Amino acid sequence: MRTALPSSPLQRLRRELFSSPLDGLISIGLIGFLLAVAIALVKWALFQAQWAVLQANSTLFAVGRYPLEQQWRLWLLTTLLVGATGLSWGLLRGLPRLDRVDQLWPRNDRIAVAVVLALAVLAPLFLKLSLAIQLRWWLEAALLVATRWAAGRWALRIPPPARRLVPLIWPLLYFAGMVLISGGLGLIQVSPSEWGGLLLTLVESSFAILLCFPLGILLALGRRSELPLLRWSSVVYIEFIRGAPLITLLFLGQNILGFLLPGGLAPDRVWRAAWVLTFFAAAYVAEAVRAGLASLPKGQLEAARSLGLPLPQALIHVVLPQALRVALPATVGQFISLLQDTTLLSLIGLLDLLGTARTVMANPAFLGRNAEVYLVLALLFWCGCAALGLGSRALETRLNPTANPAR
Amino acid sequence: MTSTPASAGSAPGAVMIEARGVEKWYPNGFHALRGVDLSVHQGEVVVIMGPSGSGKSTFIRTFNALEDFQKGSIWVDGMELTDDVRNIDAIRQEVGMVFQQFNLFPHLTVLENLTLAPVLVRKRSKAVVERQALELLERVGIAEQAHKHPGQLSGGQQQRVAIARSLCMEPRIMLFDEPTSALDPEMVQEVLEVMQELAREGMTMVVVTHEVRFARQVASRVVLMADGQVVEMAAPDQFFTNPRHERSRQFLRQIA
Repeated sequence: MRTALPSSPLQRLRRELFSSPLDGLISIGLIGFLLAVAIALVKWALFQAQWAVLQANSTLFAVGRYPLEQQWRLWLLTTLLVGATGLSWGLLRGLPRLDRVDQLWPRNDRIAVAVVLALAVLAPLFLKLSLAIQLRWWLEAALLVATRWAAGRWALRIPPPARRLVPLIWPLLYFAGMVLISGGLGLIQVSPSEWGGLLLTLVESSFAILLCFPLGILLALGRRSELPLLRWSSVVYIEFIRGAPLITLLFLGQNILGFLLPGGLAPDRVWRAAWVLTFFAAAYVAEAVRAGLASLPKGQLEAARSLGLPLPQALIHVVLPQALRVALPATVGQFISLLQDTTLLSLIGLLDLLGTARTVMANPAFLGRNAEVYLVLALLFWCGCAALGLGSRALETRLNPTANPAR
Repeated sequence: MTSTPASAGSAPGAVMIEARGVEKWYPNGFHALRGVDLSVHQGEVVVIMGPSGSGKSTFIRTFNALEDFQKGSIWVDGMELTDDVRNIDAIRQEVGMVFQQFNLFPHLTVLENLTLAPVLVRKRSKAVVERQALELLERVGIAEQAHKHPGQLSGGQQQRVAIARSLCMEPRIMLFDEPTSALDPEMVQEVLEVMQELAREGMTMVVVTHEVRFARQVASRVVLMADGQVVEMAAPDQFFTNPRHERSRQFLRQIA
């Protein structure tokens, strides 16, 4: 097919939208429709919608009934997360061997920084947060950019042994975060029943995502094992979980998980729900990983074994790195549905984002403000899912051994 | 140019592989090996030929336990093959294997393909193994590709990397399972030359191949297998000019 020479954007637009009378008609119709929708939406957002429901309840949506005098712990955690993100991000770009993008500030990063800064300024303004709190968000955004900049700038000065320790920050941070949120080690206990909103949604989904992944890998390996008992129990588990709706499992979990798990692992409803989410997602991750394993030629394992590698090492160094790369898109798809599935927690009485929304909307003062609340909720979930999706795509290209390095 | 490495534990000419009455049934009941005997001595190059489905690949794959067997016994470098996992891993360290489909690890660089097993299994220092790996790549003529991924190499280069990868474990026996069958014709020679060089250096080799010229020039003995049995075993000159069995003559006519 012959395609046109490069031309100005206006010319290209004309060619793509109005190349024939029918094309032109369709384009005009669609543009008109989209304009109408956009105008109606803006009109509604500016003149009809009453955002007070969010402004008055922003803390509730963020952290639920987390005690006010303990909220400094969440600010500290946010700061740590922001710092670690900036550090990792900067190191990734600053060490060309880690990354295929041989540039300190590629265009995507500049866009990301612009979006973060805009959000940090506009979102608190929109929510009419007190100036003190607005200031905190600005500082968090500034910290992100500063650590990102500093880590990128001085990445090569950090001695290699120290660089290798940086990824360890994340698991450490996860445990530190759990302690900060729930208490212990000298901090006052904050019962999970007081967590809510975005905090609860993030705790539940991150716990389930982190645990369902290794569990899913083990189940997939079990399903392909040569030991009949292991194989059949994996199959039964996977098929049982995949055959049951999550909501039934959540109700079931509230009733029986207390007996099944060793004492202390599922002390209350919040943790029981987290385990159910984990066990549920693991079955689906297992199927994604199984597809990845099946995509590998048999010769890969044979070659590894014929070199004398014992089975566990052959799996860790040869089979899984390749299988997981194939399974990555489906696995992240599973993480994304997991994040969305946390909304079902509201049906078993937990105050996650949706649960909080339902209590807020039940308040007579905010009657009929459903559209505002649901719209913001949808945007929040969309942001989370988009972030997961973008991360997965970036990881996929980096893990592709045959892709040409982008330079 | 002949040099026989005097390795500890076995005098020159010692038996490296001893297979006796090996029988194998596949799970579907197919009788793939019907009592196969073979002894391979140190420094020998045994070429196994035969029509497809004759069991020759299955047979050499029993030597490093990639295939199991139901009757008979196999000794490799003085160790009898048993079900014991440690025994199998020990034997695999002594037996290198080169596959028809190369089976390089595509997610690792060429150099990492070579160093993976020696570092993990033999617990040798990475720096030492890397130096040795680079020497081996030099020997098979692709040192300049060390930091590429296998997918960026031609088939012939990949197979030479696969040979170097096996050699990096310092095996005492090398098995070749149709090493040139998946190659474009113009790349066959470069792989055969590496194998020939290896034979000259005294490596004990068992080679399943259809390359008559290689068999004539390099083999100590040629074995013809058909229907899961050894039909004929002879020196290459005799096998190719004056085979004793009708089945061998028929096979030679087919590949001529």
